[in-house]
Amino acid sequence: MSIRDWALIVFTILAQTSVGALWVLLVTRYFAGRKYEMEEVDRLTDRALMAIGPVIVLGGVASLFHLSRPFSAYLAVVNIGTSWLSRESFFGAAFAALVIVFAILQTRKIGTISLRNVIAGLTALVGLGLIVSMSSVYMLPTYPAWDSWVTPVTFFTSTLLMGTLAVGAALVANYVYMQRKEPDYADAQSMLLRGTLRRIALAAVLLLGVEFVVLPIYLALLAAGPRAALLSAQLMAAGPFSWALVLRVTLAFFGAVFVSMFMYQNTINPGQEKMLGKLTYVAFVLVLLAEVLGRFLFYMTKHPLT
Amino acid sequence: MTQLGFHIDTRYCIECKSCQIACNDKNNLGVETLFRQVHYFEGGEFPNPWVWHLSMSCNHCVDPLCVKNCPTGALYKREKDGIVLHDPDKCIGCRYCEWSCPYGAISFLENEKVIGKCNFCVDLIDEGKNPACVDACLMRVLHFGDIEELRKEFGGSGDIVGLPDSHITQPSLLITPKPEAVLGKEKEVGR
Repeated sequence: MSIRDWALIVFTILAQTSVGALWVLLVTRYFAGRKYEMEEVDRLTDRALMAIGPVIVLGGVASLFHLSRPFSAYLAVVNIGTSWLSRESFFGAAFAALVIVFAILQTRKIGTISLRNVIAGLTALVGLGLIVSMSSVYMLPTYPAWDSWVTPVTFFTSTLLMGTLAVGAALVANYVYMQRKEPDYADAQSMLLRGTLRRIALAAVLLLGVEFVVLPIYLALLAAGPRAALLSAQLMAAGPFSWALVLRVTLAFFGAVFVSMFMYQNTINPGQEKMLGKLTYVAFVLVLLAEVLGRFLFYMTKHPLT
Repeated sequence: MTQLGFHIDTRYCIECKSCQIACNDKNNLGVETLFRQVHYFEGGEFPNPWVWHLSMSCNHCVDPLCVKNCPTGALYKREKDGIVLHDPDKCIGCRYCEWSCPYGAISFLENEKVIGKCNFCVDLIDEGKNPACVDACLMRVLHFGDIEELRKEFGGSGDIVGLPDSHITQPSLLITPKPEAVLGKEKEVGR
């Protein structure tokens, strides 16, 4: 596996995590805002919001290692009329710019709330464009393993799953920071944090459920497909990469189900924040590793039509 | 618009690879890079074994996925004759065209850090000459010209055993196959 392939893994994982994180943060802000003062909601989410920009920028930098002429990367948006890769580049750059602008306006309270909401909505839509383009890039008739509805479904599920747990981890880190630097607010934040993490734990279980339903269907589709698809299925299920599939499923299960259920349990009573924080970090790391392995399999088991 | 293409009569191809060598020579390529490649297919059982050879390059498709997917517009179709050309100055080396081409006709040139492919010997074509591969073919089984004229003269099809469905990109390629390579005849010849 070359550095070019790793560049794509890092880019797709980081881009999906950042888009998913923005969506989850906006949903969190919306629902939390209905129950709590917006100031409290801002304290919960603003620092997490600041982290999204650097993540997508890092992903963009990683994607340059996929090119043999990275300094000409700006040309990649020229063929936006027909090329999904151009569209992916455009939406990726636009998302990075918008999410940074939104984070600055939101954390410094610049502009009206309505203006910030409009920018937030626009950024979420551009993120949607990025994930749609990213999925479409791989839906090539040349590679039957990629050319099906499974690619967008798994990309969107990964986006939401990684985004959900990344937000969980960021909120915990924010809470730990507040305990040290702003202890006056920490207690008030505890209930808000626990309520959010409870929903995050449930969402993680649900999203992994989708992945676990799609995986056997995907393997069955490949097995019933053309020879190239069958070869991909064999590489994944019984060939040299079966270890990665087993490890990916195991890590995802432990992260998104096993640890998430403990997370859920620890959100019920106050005073468990320390343990809750550790569990959230563990769940995020396990799911991240599982998704990296999933993406590794995605690239390594592709088999061309001819 | 004229659409230039190739016709290959696989019945008489002897796999001498003159076309492949002439192409490498014309394009000054190393042995590891092939813009035209002769593929080898074999099968059957005694007393009915079979073999055929297929010389393939870029098929200058009517609806080329490489052109559609190239993010920089480095790959394009020449309007007057439908040849798919590549502008190395615009190429960023993303290699998405390699993934897109169902015929595996695009190579990455490690030294130049860009992709390369058959350009139909466009310089020779513009001088009214034949592509190097066509002139080099010992058995005279490789022909080029307007694809509709080739169809009238030789017939053939872009769909034979072992090739992707021609509906994907509509290759400007006609093949007169050996009986074993005709789609749907696999059982009759014991493939």
